[in-house]
Amino acid sequence: MTDNSEQEYTASTDDPTADEMSIETDVSTSVSSSDSTQHANTVVSAENVSVWYNDEQALQDITLDIPENQVTAMIGPSGCGKSTFLRCINRMNDLIDAAHVEGDLHLRGKNVYDDDVDPVALRRRVGMVFQSPNPFPKSIYDNVAYGLEIQDKEGDYDEIVEQSLKRAALWDEVKDQLDQSGLELSGGQQQRLCIARAIAPDPEVILMDEPASALDPVATSQIEDLISELAEEYTVVIVTHNMQQAARISNKTAVFLTGGELVEFDDTEKIFENPESQRVEDYITGKFG
Amino acid sequence: MARTDYQSSLEELRDDILYMSEVVAERLRTGLDALERKDERLAREVIDGDDEINEMYLKLEGDCVDLIALQQPVASDLRFIAASFKIITDLERIGDLAVNLGGYTLDAERDLFPDVDMQRIGRTTLDMLEDAMDAYANEDVEACYAVADRDDEVDAMCEAASELVVRDLIESDRLADDLDDDEEMESLMQDVSRLLLTIRDLERVGDHAVNIAARTLYMAENDDELLY
Repeated sequence: MTDNSEQEYTASTDDPTADEMSIETDVSTSVSSSDSTQHANTVVSAENVSVWYNDEQALQDITLDIPENQVTAMIGPSGCGKSTFLRCINRMNDLIDAAHVEGDLHLRGKNVYDDDVDPVALRRRVGMVFQSPNPFPKSIYDNVAYGLEIQDKEGDYDEIVEQSLKRAALWDEVKDQLDQSGLELSGGQQQRLCIARAIAPDPEVILMDEPASALDPVATSQIEDLISELAEEYTVVIVTHNMQQAARISNKTAVFLTGGELVEFDDTEKIFENPESQRVEDYITGKFG
Repeated sequence: MARTDYQSSLEELRDDILYMSEVVAERLRTGLDALERKDERLAREVIDGDDEINEMYLKLEGDCVDLIALQQPVASDLRFIAASFKIITDLERIGDLAVNLGGYTLDAERDLFPDVDMQRIGRTTLDMLEDAMDAYANEDVEACYAVADRDDEVDAMCEAASELVVRDLIESDRLADDLDDDEEMESLMQDVSRLLLTIRDLERVGDHAVNIAARTLYMAENDDELLY
């Protein structure tokens, strides 16, 4: 059981560099051989994760394994807890005072809710892209380099910025205007800039919370193509309200339904062609929801 | 229930396909009647009605494409539309085979091999078609298997009928009688060919009925066991 008190979050951010070292060490040494076997090819493993906001339960006993280098989609009606689950993976729920998490959530075998895990360090390994593009009021270059700077990461920043922008499929459009403000880009470009920012620290997992819902169809297509490419190097977990988008881009789909219940988790083809659960069938065919 | 217009469109598609199947079955029945009675009027009725079936087919094909493009169906809805899309092709082909029966009726110049029970074969395939469409309407899995099982019966009947025609032709003195008359010989050969084609066409009606049952099983259970 983990109580995400503000006090714990504040305390854990005092020395992020030291904590990052601790999480790195834990991951490489503390996982038992049976765990390694169990989590083979699994990057994130949730076991009986429940979340409350004050007295209201938002997630009920969620258990699922998120596979490496694949796109896992979370779908479900509003209020079903899919974004809450996403935010558990990098402990963004710690930022909400009323949030209370129970259960285990492992990143490569290490419970991210263990006391010795620093959420800030965790978030460098688990990057996040939000619904609305939110570049900083800085240059394109600085937007990407920001994450590197705050963690004093060593290396050739020019090279990392260029590679990150290339991986985010934005380099060709901005390479001659890196000093221009990120806010002057189009919505789709801003979102790809945010993706470049998220991947610059070279995370293992990228969480995306409805990353294309504020974009036009062309920009959405670019983001979807990009997500598929990113999965070659990263593990991607995406929350989307757009079921067709989940069907197009994901390998695995988790269907959450009202009450914070994970009703079905399977290969995306299986979910959209022949789901086991009648409730999932009714939801994805639009018979309710 | 959400998406009520969409759900209504699916129901409408199902009803329209069932109506098309009734028309096709009626044409097949009429074709068999024409053949049995050598009734030219019935034969022309079947031939002239083919355009109506083709138009229904094209309209329903468009309806399926519209539903896929505009509604992005998934799961059981997707399987229903995918199965329906294939089933209307089978129905249209059965319509073509019924037209062939009309053509054979008009072209046949003599009553050949009355001991070949073409009507029994034809009525069996008609039963299979109607049973397959009942299975489609009711998503009846057992009925799908039952239709598929009857295909062997039809194949055996058709094979036996073809053998009978060839054996009778060889053993009878008909060939000897007609050998001296080239025109007579050519006419006889055409009638024999037509008879064998009729047997083959009826066998194909049975195959299309099995296809419909196989698609229905996929639609109902996501089971492709009968698809081969």
